[in-house]
Amino acid sequence: MVTIAGQRVGAGSGTRLAAPGSGSAELLRGVRASLPVMVGLVPFALVLGAQAAARGFSLLEVQLLSALNFGGASEFAVLNLWSAASPPSILLVIAVTALVNSRHLLMGAVLAPRIRHLPRPAALRALFWMSDESWALSLADARRRAVETGPRDSFSLPFYMGLSGGIYLTWATCTTLGAALGPMLGDVERFGFDMAFVAVFLVLLRGMWRGAGAAAPWLVSLLVAAATSLLLPGAWYIVAGALAGLLAAVLRADASATPPSISTPGQPAEQVA
Amino acid sequence: MISGITLLTVLAMASTTYLTRIGGYLFLRNRELTPRARAVLDAAPGCVLVALIAPRFTSTHPADLLALGLTLVAATRLPLLPTVVVGVASAGLLRAVF
Repeated sequence: MVTIAGQRVGAGSGTRLAAPGSGSAELLRGVRASLPVMVGLVPFALVLGAQAAARGFSLLEVQLLSALNFGGASEFAVLNLWSAASPPSILLVIAVTALVNSRHLLMGAVLAPRIRHLPRPAALRALFWMSDESWALSLADARRRAVETGPRDSFSLPFYMGLSGGIYLTWATCTTLGAALGPMLGDVERFGFDMAFVAVFLVLLRGMWRGAGAAAPWLVSLLVAAATSLLLPGAWYIVAGALAGLLAAVLRADASATPPSISTPGQPAEQVA
Repeated sequence: MISGITLLTVLAMASTTYLTRIGGYLFLRNRELTPRARAVLDAAPGCVLVALIAPRFTSTHPADLLALGLTLVAATRLPLLPTVVVGVASAGLLRAVF
């Protein structure tokens, strides 16, 4: 289903993408890019499935959850509240899901200028598959490509769909497998697989590095998120940290906006009008 | 087999999550960005990624902190896959030792 949708979307945008490489080559490049992410994804998908089964989800229910929601963090959070005997209220489920996934709003906003040229239905379809990893990797890819293609065509939709398709299929398959195998898997954190996500994110941060000044908001985000995670339960730390970092970025922009020129060297490739 | 309440929960989650995925795009699609908004969007990816991993830095387990340090060093000089291997291997081994 994913591959078909990916090819349809990819083919539809083929005329608009003056990009090197054909649609299917880009799709394959995306699938290849999803491989390092899978190292971290597989064990967690297995555990999610196993946990859902332990909480009373049937195999079909686990499949529906991971295929329709496709947001690991929110699934762990809601399962954590779940008991078959007294399920949490739908309102609480919605609030927890929205809170954990609120970062998507920001991520979609960051992506918006890059996919502005896509027809709206294609963009809305593509956004269903936006995950932390597919978003971050395809954004990094767009930044690299912007040098050859110019900012307008820098976002490769087939690359994104190949990447997202790989991640989606892995997630859907392995959560199902986890539910079928049951809770015999135990604690995968013991084996260090949780560090795969940290490694992926750190390498992505290196790619985004534009000097210590530009990274000052990151430090604010890190400190506030770390402090919040110690003080408050749940996923508030993501929201608090990201918002604090953005506030720092605004203050920094305002401070540097006093002289007439706003754009700094090293930035132009990043800007998408 | 599907129970009604589970199905309702899954559908509520799925629609909420999808709304968060399209919300930022729908809101910003047809807007020209002010320099301020650009500064925010430039900083946003890094801020979100840093916030996601921030609790790792407050870990009280020496093995986790050491593995985090090694992964951080690896991330500054190695490509993606070797960095992932360093992260997983160091965390797995150090947790087994400590």
